[in-house]
This record gives sequence, C-alpha cells and structure tokens, in this order.
Amino acid sequence: MYLRNGKIGVYDLATKELEAQELSEEDNFQSLKVAERLAVELGPDPLVLGTGVLTASFVPAACAGFVWANGGFMPILGHAGVELKFSGFDFVVIKGRGNRPGYLWIRDGMIEFVEPEGMAALDSWKRTDKVRADQGDGKIQVLSVGPWGDHSNAASQVVVNYWGGEDKVGMGAEFGKRNLAAVAFRGMGELELKEPEKHFEDAVLLMSEHVQKLGKSEGIGSYSEVAKRDDFRKLFHRAVACYGCPHPCRSYLKVSEDPGEFRLMAKEPGYLHYDIPALAKAFDMGFDAKDATLAIMKCAKAGAEPVSVLSALSSPNQGAIDALLSKPSDVKNVRAANFESSFKDVGDYRSAVGLGICPRYWAKAGYDFQAVVAYAESALDVKPL
Amino acid sequence: MRLRIEPLKCICCGLCETVCSLNKDYVLTPMTSSIILHMEDKANYFGLVLKTKSEGLLVARPEGTSTGQQAAGSGGPGAKPILLREPCDLCGGSPKCSRICPTKCITVEG
Repeated sequence: MYLRNGKIGVYDLATKELEAQELSEEDNFQSLKVAERLAVELGPDPLVLGTGVLTASFVPAACAGFVWANGGFMPILGHAGVELKFSGFDFVVIKGRGNRPGYLWIRDGMIEFVEPEGMAALDSWKRTDKVRADQGDGKIQVLSVGPWGDHSNAASQVVVNYWGGEDKVGMGAEFGKRNLAAVAFRGMGELELKEPEKHFEDAVLLMSEHVQKLGKSEGIGSYSEVAKRDDFRKLFHRAVACYGCPHPCRSYLKVSEDPGEFRLMAKEPGYLHYDIPALAKAFDMGFDAKDATLAIMKCAKAGAEPVSVLSALSSPNQGAIDALLSKPSDVKNVRAANFESSFKDVGDYRSAVGLGICPRYWAKAGYDFQAVVAYAESALDVKPL
Repeated sequence: MRLRIEPLKCICCGLCETVCSLNKDYVLTPMTSSIILHMEDKANYFGLVLKTKSEGLLVARPEGTSTGQQAAGSGGPGAKPILLREPCDLCGGSPKCSRICPTKCITVEG
C-alpha cells in the first residue's frame, strides 16, 4: 500500500500483549471511520491512535494524526503525526488499563508499556524529558498528560511534547483512566509512493503557489488577530512549522530571556503558542502577553486545559493560577474550539484530519477534499470511496 | 556547486529530511537522508546538519554555520547517526531539498 504501513497494532495495557492486524486498502481515505469501527470491534472503550493516508506525504502541511476515544478526537500535529506513521503502524488500538502509571512506547513495529518508578509524580514536561532521556533519543514524540490527566479531570489536556492546543475534547482524562501517563513514538519506517518523482514535482509546484498566495508567516498572528498585540510581538522569538507546513501558525515567545537571543542559552525560556482560544481568554481576563504565556505554560505542565482554568479565575495574577492548578475541583470543563473552528463545516474539519493534513493551514490555503485527493493521486493508487 | 544553508530562515518543517530519502531510496524515511533537522524543542532551538562529500559535516545552527564538526546534531543514539549515512550527492545537480524548502533556507550556490 502506498503511503501506508498496512498495519494496525492492538495493544492491551492489562496483559501487555500486542496483536497486529492488516489495514484494508478500502479504508485508506476514511481514517476517522476506521478508528470508530476499530473501537466497536475491539472495545470496550479503547483509545485509538491514527494517521491519515496523506500523513508524511509532500502535500503541504501533511502533518496530522489523531487520537480518538469515546466518540471524540483530537488532532496530533507538529512532527507527532508523521513520527507515529514512521513507527510502523497506521493505527494503534489501546485496550484495557495499565496496572500502574506508565507510558506506551511505540517504535519500529513494536509496542511496550513501560512502567518506570515515579512517573506519576512528574508534570507533563518532565514526562516528555524522561521518556526521551530513558530511550536516548531527543526526537521521540510524546503525548503527555500531567497530574490533571492522571486524576481523570474533565478539564485536563494532552500536551504534544510540551505544548498544548490540540486537545479540546478532554483526552487527558481518557489517558488518566487507563493509567497512561504518556504515549511515545519514534520510527525508522519507510513509506512508498506510487510515482515518487511526479509527487515531488507536484508538491514543489503547489507549495510555491501556496507560498505566493499566503505570503510570509507571522506565526499565530497570520491566523488570528489575538496575536497582533504589541506586547505579544515584543516577546516573539520565532515562528515554527509543523511537518511540511510552509505557513506556520506557531509562535514561540521568550519570557525569561531576550526574544532576540538565538543561541542555546536557557533550557526553558518560553512557550510555543498555537492555542488561539487560550490566548484570547487570557487577554480577556486582563493578562499581558508575558503573564498569559506563563499561565498557559503552567497549565500545559499540569496537563490542565487553559481556557477552563482561565474561566475559573477571579483575578489575573499568577498566584490565582497556581491556586487553581492545585485545586482542580474549582475548575469546570469549558469546551473551547481551537483547530475545530478552522472551518465553518465540522465535516471539513473531520475530513482534513482524516486525510492527515492540518485543518488550520488548509482552511487558509483553500480546502477542497476532492481537489486534495486528486492532487495526491501521484502518491496513491486508491480512489476515495 | 554546493548547498548554502541560512539557519535563521529555517522554520523546522522537516521536508528536507524526507525529500532527501526520496532521492536516495525512492521511499519516504527519516533514516537515510544526508540532512538532519536538529531540535531542542523547549528552547525553540533548531537547525540543520548536512553531510557533504567535500567539507564533512555542515552544521547550520542559529549561531551560524560551520563545517567539519563531528556528531553534533546527529539525531541522538536512538536514530541512525548522520556519520553512518551517505553524503549529499546534490541529487545529481538539482537538489530536491532546496527546491521544496518553503523559506529558501536551503539554496544552491556555485
């Protein structure tokens, strides 16, 4: 199969057994439906990691994978979706519950549940650090939860490596109830293309057209007015792209060193913003860009969804954030769409993520499902259903 | 003819890595490319390491570019180190990484 591993991993956290299934070619363009079907067939109540058929291709912004559970899903962006695909699986179904908190380690067609001492005491950033240190590879992609997820708080969030913005559906709680402190993946996989040279040439042409149309990226400011404030711009360090994206929506702000410093000086000098509703809520509450960044960073470390936390805030100061993060019962889950609001039609959002492309980017570049699929025919030989 | 890398133009999209493997093996894989994206996520520090035939490793990091260094940015011991990979052959005269790079961080000179 082109652009697919052809493999579904089914892992039981309780028995620590892995079973592999073949992926049908008929399912190629229906990734979210595949996840839903797998959940029914292999349940009860599994968690499903998935990739789109175009994930890791040269179609612009072909960076998306997803996590599906209990009828909802979150996209996984950055380099995580691509790395999941290179791990050797197109989908991974996670069944059962671990006996103690640990992380699922997926690589090169293998899956194991690792239960290190002290995992539960770590925040989400330290979990990512630990997985990468223990496995000896700084490029491992980690979906991590913090204490809020461990306690299955409805207002928890999964962070992708260190950053939040993808999980607006309470996926952190789904991780917590399975004793999943994190899911990590890395791979040395190979993906075949139908016509490699043609796919490359088509991509160069389309990328060039998009770059001309969209102009130079201002990071999140290219996608939302919320980041066009002067105090935000003063802290702006650099825009960062997800895999294959020519017009990134991610802005890194430095809050503990000069934003103009490009040398590697501090380990944690700032935060990568792409959570538009979180920033908007922080500014609504009266935070400036620095305090908004610090507040959202603290939420990411705790594994708490920031719009929910900020909505419960009585006054805009860091002490109040700290107090709320230590008392989750005072925070109600507030559903705030981030990538979900890229399109007016939620069907377009589902189809873009299901294909493996970033909904935010494609909403801006001009999304048409059939056109994207037609464009991708140089990479694939399967027509959509 | 050689590749010129301006690291501050890099946005970390990673296309250069996968397109390099396409040229070598006609497949997409992060394991055979002659160019590696090096990232320190939390510090938002990233750059590129290119294995060349004539200059050894070209390390392009935010501080600037240098050649001949060993191991820096190899991708870590969990992946295939760049020193074990084939050097860049400039795709036979039309380097794919420079053609697909959306910010012109990688260009051809000479």
